[in-house]
Amino acid sequence: MVSSFCWSCLTRLPTAPRAILPPTLTAQRVAAFHSSTPLLAGAKKKGDLPVAKYRQAKSAKMKKKKPVERTRPPAVGERRALRKRIVLSNPNALEVEGMQDLSAENMVDARLRGSILGLPVPMLDQLRAVQAFKPKQGWSIFRRPGTVVRRETLELGRLIDGISAEEGENKGKVVRKIITGVKGSGKSVHMLQAMSMAFTKEWVVITVPEAQDLVIANTAYAPLSDENPNVYVQNDATAALLSRIVTANQKVLSKLTVSQPHPALKTAVKPGMTLEALAKPGIQDPAVAWSVFQALWTELTATAPAAGFEKGFKPRPPMLVTLDNLAHWMKETKYNNIDCKPIHAHDLVFVQHFLSLLKPSTEAGKPSLPNGGLILYATSGSNSPTIYGFEVALQQLAARQAGIKPSSPEFPQPDPYLNADKRVLAVFNDSASTKSPASKDGSLEIQTIGGLTRDEAQGFMEYFARSGLLRENITDAWVGEKWSLAGGGVIGELEKLGRRLRVIA
Amino acid sequence: MVFILGVNFPERNLVKKSLESFFGIGNLTSTRLLARFHIHPTCKVGDLANKQVLDITAALSDMKIENDLRRQYLDNIKRLKETGTYRGRRHALGLPVRGQRTRSQIKSAVKLNRMERRL
Repeated sequence: MVSSFCWSCLTRLPTAPRAILPPTLTAQRVAAFHSSTPLLAGAKKKGDLPVAKYRQAKSAKMKKKKPVERTRPPAVGERRALRKRIVLSNPNALEVEGMQDLSAENMVDARLRGSILGLPVPMLDQLRAVQAFKPKQGWSIFRRPGTVVRRETLELGRLIDGISAEEGENKGKVVRKIITGVKGSGKSVHMLQAMSMAFTKEWVVITVPEAQDLVIANTAYAPLSDENPNVYVQNDATAALLSRIVTANQKVLSKLTVSQPHPALKTAVKPGMTLEALAKPGIQDPAVAWSVFQALWTELTATAPAAGFEKGFKPRPPMLVTLDNLAHWMKETKYNNIDCKPIHAHDLVFVQHFLSLLKPSTEAGKPSLPNGGLILYATSGSNSPTIYGFEVALQQLAARQAGIKPSSPEFPQPDPYLNADKRVLAVFNDSASTKSPASKDGSLEIQTIGGLTRDEAQGFMEYFARSGLLRENITDAWVGEKWSLAGGGVIGELEKLGRRLRVIA
Repeated sequence: MVFILGVNFPERNLVKKSLESFFGIGNLTSTRLLARFHIHPTCKVGDLANKQVLDITAALSDMKIENDLRRQYLDNIKRLKETGTYRGRRHALGLPVRGQRTRSQIKSAVKLNRMERRL
């Protein structure tokens, strides 16, 4: 039987009106089987056709390139500001609950070993002022800055506590230390911890954040005076130092008043003037910066007021002096003297002053820091020149500390053929032998900072996990693995392992 | 703007570069000059003290630079030409003076050795 339904009729059903179709379909033109070239070419505009002019030669000459529009170079100082920018907070990181702030009580608390102590927020401005933070340290990954309490930190805390204590055997002692260690072992952060402790104890903190800056000939220099033309003063660098001192220690310096006459200063020094006011002119006028710094130093090391200045004299607080990257001060600088020969770093009066602090003073009964204090000079693991004399000097220092007599054959001696710098050896040399152990003026020590212990490493990695940076179960085995990977708990390497984000599948 | 030997330099320029812009002062001489007046190599012209500017100008005016030096150069060449030496002739012909071959690559000589030597 034949169906009454007509197939041809079906095919003639009206097609869907164009408007119903989605616009993309209507707009699309589909070529039957051509390659796409003609489509892509599109319609040529009339103006594009080169109109041959009458009797004009066609040549293969290239058209002159249009001058490329260059954007303006960044403003002066902008790139440096970006490079030196220090970010201390990451709002995406989790707040670590129960994290304590550093305070006078808990800086000697041995129970906190292996945990993280936060830096108090009001202190951050002071720490920024002394340039305690370095741009490459990982402060920017955590919610707020904090440091690990390790064995060395606790020792440091006890030391600072002892020096500023009202009584005790360490009261008013001067401790001098050179801090060494491999790259990333936390030397600079150790000094930062010292600064933060000193700020809590209201010490005066004086820092040289980068020793290199003084010797690479980036800042102005001049002979100190006509009498000694071979000693050079760096006025701009001294003014910067004064400004660091004044901003960071403003609270302490504004309470102390002038106690000595300062004939070298042209501005009148009146009794009752605060030390802050004494230092200010040096910041504004770099030409007088060095004499102002000397005046400030005599004030800070004063033990009793001079005649006529007795009113309102307060005992001076202990001082913390820190310096990073010491090796740069052990060689010739990029500065030239008048005969175009390089100037040795020890001929810069700024450098001389800070290196002289390493030696106990030669005069009996007049130590270099009579009010006590701590002198911490660190070497650097990443940017430090190789200086043979300095290496030998540090070895000698370590040997002397281990009790080897300078006369014994085991005592390291410089190779006579390698030309060790005698001035460098002399800086570290004659300190230990003559001093009696009971003296308040401690001899120079060397402290090598190594890796964290496993317990400290565990605390450190837990801090990463609690900040939400690390998604791992922090077990003993896992920490042990990372501890070994980090070269025996070198904290900089541990940080690299901790900040690498991994997600458990 | 700071005047050094009658030339005006913008304050943002390096002192070393500015000194080297004078004919007859190169790296060595400028380094020596800076050392003599205790100016650090990254010093900008604007950072110079007045006394230093005067010192530099005084030192430069004692030196044989710029037109004096150019004149000396030309006089030396002129002397060679006048005495009729081979070197003088080569200078005048626009050919290399010091025995180089002339089959190729004598662009510098062609460019510079003219009747009136270019500097």
